[in-house]
Amino acid sequence: MTVSAQERLTRAAGYPSRPRGRRLQASGLPWILPALVLGVGLIYYCIGYTVYISTLNWDGASPDPLSVGFRNYSNIFSDPVFWKSIEHTVAFFVTTFVLQTALGVVFAVIMHSRIRLAVVYKVIIFVPVVLAPAIMAPVFRQVYAANGQFNWVLSHLGLGFLAQPWIGQTSTSLAVIIAITIWQWTGLTFVLYYAAMSQIDQSLLEAARIDGAGNIRVLWSIIWPNLRGTTLSLAILSAIGALKTFDVPWLVTVAGPSNSTQFLGTYIYQMTIQLAHVGYGAALSIILLVIALVMAIILQVAARERTGRP
Amino acid sequence: MRFPFRSKTTLRSLAALAVAGLTGLGLVACSGGSSQGSAGSATSGTINWWGWTPTNTAEANDFIAAFNKDYPNIKVNFKLIGISDYQAAMRPALASNNGPDVYDLQPGAYVQQFGSYAEDLTSSAQGALGSDWKSKLASIAVDGLTSNGKLTAMPIGSSYAGSLWYNTDLFKQYGLQPPKTLSDWKQVCQTFKSHGVGCFAQGAAQEGFDQDTLQAISNSIEPGYWTKASKGDAKWDSPQIVQTLSVWKDLFGSGIMQSGALGAQQYPDVNNAFLTGKYAMVMMGSWYTQYATQAAMTQSISAAGVAGAKPFPILPMQFPDVAGKGNTSEMFGDADYGLAVASKSQNKSAAETFVKWMSTSTKGQQVVADRLDTTPVLSGVAPDFNTIKFVDPAQQSGPVNDYLKKLVSVNEPRFALLNADVENAFLAAAQSVASGSATPQAAATTLQQAADAAKAQNK
Repeated sequence: MTVSAQERLTRAAGYPSRPRGRRLQASGLPWILPALVLGVGLIYYCIGYTVYISTLNWDGASPDPLSVGFRNYSNIFSDPVFWKSIEHTVAFFVTTFVLQTALGVVFAVIMHSRIRLAVVYKVIIFVPVVLAPAIMAPVFRQVYAANGQFNWVLSHLGLGFLAQPWIGQTSTSLAVIIAITIWQWTGLTFVLYYAAMSQIDQSLLEAARIDGAGNIRVLWSIIWPNLRGTTLSLAILSAIGALKTFDVPWLVTVAGPSNSTQFLGTYIYQMTIQLAHVGYGAALSIILLVIALVMAIILQVAARERTGRP
Repeated sequence: MRFPFRSKTTLRSLAALAVAGLTGLGLVACSGGSSQGSAGSATSGTINWWGWTPTNTAEANDFIAAFNKDYPNIKVNFKLIGISDYQAAMRPALASNNGPDVYDLQPGAYVQQFGSYAEDLTSSAQGALGSDWKSKLASIAVDGLTSNGKLTAMPIGSSYAGSLWYNTDLFKQYGLQPPKTLSDWKQVCQTFKSHGVGCFAQGAAQEGFDQDTLQAISNSIEPGYWTKASKGDAKWDSPQIVQTLSVWKDLFGSGIMQSGALGAQQYPDVNNAFLTGKYAMVMMGSWYTQYATQAAMTQSISAAGVAGAKPFPILPMQFPDVAGKGNTSEMFGDADYGLAVASKSQNKSAAETFVKWMSTSTKGQQVVADRLDTTPVLSGVAPDFNTIKFVDPAQQSGPVNDYLKKLVSVNEPRFALLNADVENAFLAAAQSVASGSATPQAAATTLQQAADAAKAQNK
């Protein structure tokens, strides 16, 4: 067997003589090993274990859980509270996404208009993003209480007839949760749109102006189409955020009254922790996971179709 | 860039290490429940006590300080966990080997969920009080903490609900008397409302307090019916419960219940509102006796955010005859809390010493009694009113003493017969009826279905 001069050179240089693809595989494995251990160990193992638990009737503590097959899943689909939480999630996602997007774009356009004290306004808009919901929840409970500051403001504006117990009635409690979420996350939407607008080619805007386009026309025909990628990313984040919503409805309204602010996350917590139906809670978690995956895939596919990428 | 691992052996070793790590992770995760704890010394050591009550850490530290006078070598660390976080915190803690040595238990759902992690304390009780130990402790408290013949926790105090407390200053200011009937109650509330003062407040977002009011209404309609239904001897969708829910709805519609009650928590919202004089009446039980005292009232008003707190006298009152049938709405109660010894404790003997001292010693029970937070369970122990200072002794001493004496005869349970599913169904029924999303009949039907499902689940 003969060894080529090239191969001898390669060996002398310390490089393995295997084909390039195999070499990459071998040397790549150790690099991804820590992530693999964490990923498989902490995430996929937990998902698998949750799937297993979802087939049990178990309180999370007793040594003899009862296997019930897929009965937890069939029970979920006939559970009115589950469907209520799905309705709330959809309404929450649509409303928060639309309003945050509208506000984010408007704020970003205004901040790009070279107004005075822009930095101050940027900080004011962004501050709610960094405030923990646990800190703000008691404040909002007070603000939206029957004798709270929101009603006080309404009455001092001559709108006292609109005053009502906002978090104490089923007709308005979800709107309060949505309002708090918009207040909290519009800052992030604004920052992302602001950054995306900075990337728009100025010559496009100048060309539009020369062609006689007004502010609205420029916004609608030039700026908005160039923000499509950001909008789609925000849609995915909002959708996943809506599915994961827990802190605000739990801390402000405890998912009530009468389940009017019940979300999947709060319902999973109630079932698993408060009522000790760990199997049922696990089945809800798996359904949540499936919905999140399906939604992310749909939005990704939609994004590729729009941008024409394969 | 090159990576130093070139040989297959090294790579395989790393992969094996990863697999071993994963397996180890799994083993660690699965091996949390293997330890069975150990006895240790009965007179020395460190024990960790976790509980949602006493809600005032200073009170727990008073108990510990008094205990340490008798047992100086047992160090007790109290960790306060909010009641809303208690279940979430206790389940993993008790399943692990690093949980508490001593923990709070309450009759009903908590005994069912966490009683299996506790030692059976029957022999401890016998050792401390003799073979007739049950006759020396409040039976209503012992029964609620006993599950399948196992004494899961030693009762520390009892609490009783079904009464209201009122601000006597506000009633005097507007020349009013505590209401005795539903129409009286409506009238009183109209008067307060006309003067811009809140009448009655309840945190209807919290299950336990809704349950108290519902049970009190039910006792006005047919005394004892609620307990029969709790035992499974009567139906929750009966006319009595439908009427109970109808009266409950009327409290909201007639202006007795405060606006926004469905979004309010009893603690801290309503408690703070009452203690700062915003409402004249509140649905609270025997645990509220502590606020009849100068010290606790002042401290609580300060805690509610009022500078220069000025305490005012409060008095208990019987729940009004809301059914108009002339029935006395009897109170109900069980162990406020008991102390359990964790099976996995490494200091079980010291933990039992502490629990026994708190529950069965005269000294321990006297400290508990004098706080007026919970009613002592050891017979013969009563609050020492020579050392307790009321806000207005002349006005409060007699009625508060009468109230405490009446509690001894209470024999209807509060939580002991119910599990978490049924309690959750009470909240759903109460909120759906109050918000108008269900009729009293529909809510009662749902309640019965929930009780049936819970019964089937526990078979």
